[in-house]
Amino acid sequence: MLGPVRLSPGEVLAALTGTTGDPVHAIIVRDLRLPRTLLAALIGATLGLSGAALQGLTRNPLADPALFGAPQSAAFAAVALVSFAGFDILSFAVPVAGIIGALVSVTLLFTLTGRDAPMVVVLLAGLALSSLAGALTALALNLAPNIYAALEIAFWLMGSLEDRSMQHLVLALPFMAAGSALMALTAPSLRALSLGEDVAASLGVSVARTRALIILGVALGVGAAVAVAGAIGFIGLVAPHLVRSATGHDPARTMGASAIAGAALLLAADCAVRLAPPTSDLKVGIVTALIGAPFFLALVARQRRLLAGDLP
Amino acid sequence: MIRRAALCVTLALSLTGTAGANPRIVSLNMCTDQLVLALADREQIAGISHLAHRPAMSWHWQQAQGLRTLAGQAEEVLPLRPDLVVTASFARTQTRALLHRQGLTVEGFGSARSVADVRDQIRRAGALFGHTDRADAAIARIDGALARLIEQPLDRPVRALPLERRGWVSGGDTLMADLLRLAGFDNLGIAAGLAGGRLTLEQIVRLQPEVLVLSSDPERADDQGTALLSHPALARLVPPHRRIVLPQAMTICAGPMLADALDRLADERRSLRAR
Repeated sequence: MLGPVRLSPGEVLAALTGTTGDPVHAIIVRDLRLPRTLLAALIGATLGLSGAALQGLTRNPLADPALFGAPQSAAFAAVALVSFAGFDILSFAVPVAGIIGALVSVTLLFTLTGRDAPMVVVLLAGLALSSLAGALTALALNLAPNIYAALEIAFWLMGSLEDRSMQHLVLALPFMAAGSALMALTAPSLRALSLGEDVAASLGVSVARTRALIILGVALGVGAAVAVAGAIGFIGLVAPHLVRSATGHDPARTMGASAIAGAALLLAADCAVRLAPPTSDLKVGIVTALIGAPFFLALVARQRRLLAGDLP
Repeated sequence: MIRRAALCVTLALSLTGTAGANPRIVSLNMCTDQLVLALADREQIAGISHLAHRPAMSWHWQQAQGLRTLAGQAEEVLPLRPDLVVTASFARTQTRALLHRQGLTVEGFGSARSVADVRDQIRRAGALFGHTDRADAAIARIDGALARLIEQPLDRPVRALPLERRGWVSGGDTLMADLLRLAGFDNLGIAAGLAGGRLTLEQIVRLQPEVLVLSSDPERADDQGTALLSHPALARLVPPHRRIVLPQAMTICAGPMLADALDRLADERRSLRAR
């Protein structure tokens, strides 16, 4: 119902069910707004789930895919592939590149910081990795033979759902579904892990296996999402905290609820974008950052004692 | 006596040759590059802009091969000591002022917004470069192509939208608008204002164009802006056989290639009618 062209709920419904007589309505609803809405919900859910899984795994309330540099690295890999290897931006190679980028980044951060790294170390290493991947993305777009590519720095680093189509959904959906399934598989292990690694081990839970599954799941989900919509931030960080008051600290229950909250968040953010003047070219990532960044600051303030206690 | 007379004549000829020698030219803008490459002698060209080599934009990119290219800064231009610097009148104000202070002749060319503008610019460039004959020939070629385009108008005004990557639409006061008007199309580009602007896909769908006028027909999308042109909504709205392609290099600048643009437009319009 929201967009530059005003349509009533009845008109939208008629266009969706194919009973509308107006071909313009049919195109606007089915080819433009439906894929955009579906993508917002599915990407939001994937990011929310990824955030909950990473927070459960690291037992770090500030964890989210961006903390591991995953979206920025995925954007860099996708951009490099399209700019320098001659792949079409609508080919399956692009999400695959995004997944590999995200996988390298998350694995690198886990390896660099080790198993029992203090939260501050993880945060700082993640910040450095994200900045590096973001700068490399901009650099690749600046150096691309296509001189127009540099205009799309904001798309890749902030993320946008504008003018997406079913082609984008087809590109991302299989990978996001597989990633989400892998993360969902770890729910029982995460529940055991919340009691501590020793307890979990005594219950027969392999920490290494859980970690591997989550890294792979996050890479699949986030890499594919970034390949079609850019690096949309903060959903993975905010969503788990929104639901925790209802789900408690059970990581398994948090994961499902967080996926739903992530979907709702990104849908709401995208609705705000659609209400902005059509020529403003507002990116959805700007809206999520406007919500997420103050939220992050509030979280840091609340965790201050914990963060300070981590310092050697 | 005869030898002395011959010497006099030779001397006189060489003198007029020096006094009226065609100027050495530096061009700092891709569009003035086109005028220089089309109208000046190769020996006259001391430097052109770095965009002159890009086939997608520069019609005369092949002639540009082997010529010195410049990024457009004053310090590159000064050591070349050109007699004339040509560039866009709407950009690089500082550079132009600096070069002018250094005693160089700087001539600015505005963006051509109509066929008449293109004729004027060619005529002016021809006079500046010392090749009025070439300018006249180019203008005659444009007038011939224009006559062929106007000869066979469309039966009714067809609603056409000039659309480029990222949803950019050229506006009502542009060369593209003049071309579409001359070809008998009803130009929907007015919706983007006089100078042009970006329309979202929803706005484009609402305009219900019958024909899309594209500046390229890329076989692969190498960025998000190009991918927009292959969006299914656009394909459903205007099927591929109702899209006409007028290469950007033909219409982005003023120059003799306007004749090719007019002929191409007439061809594309004819095939549109045949379908």
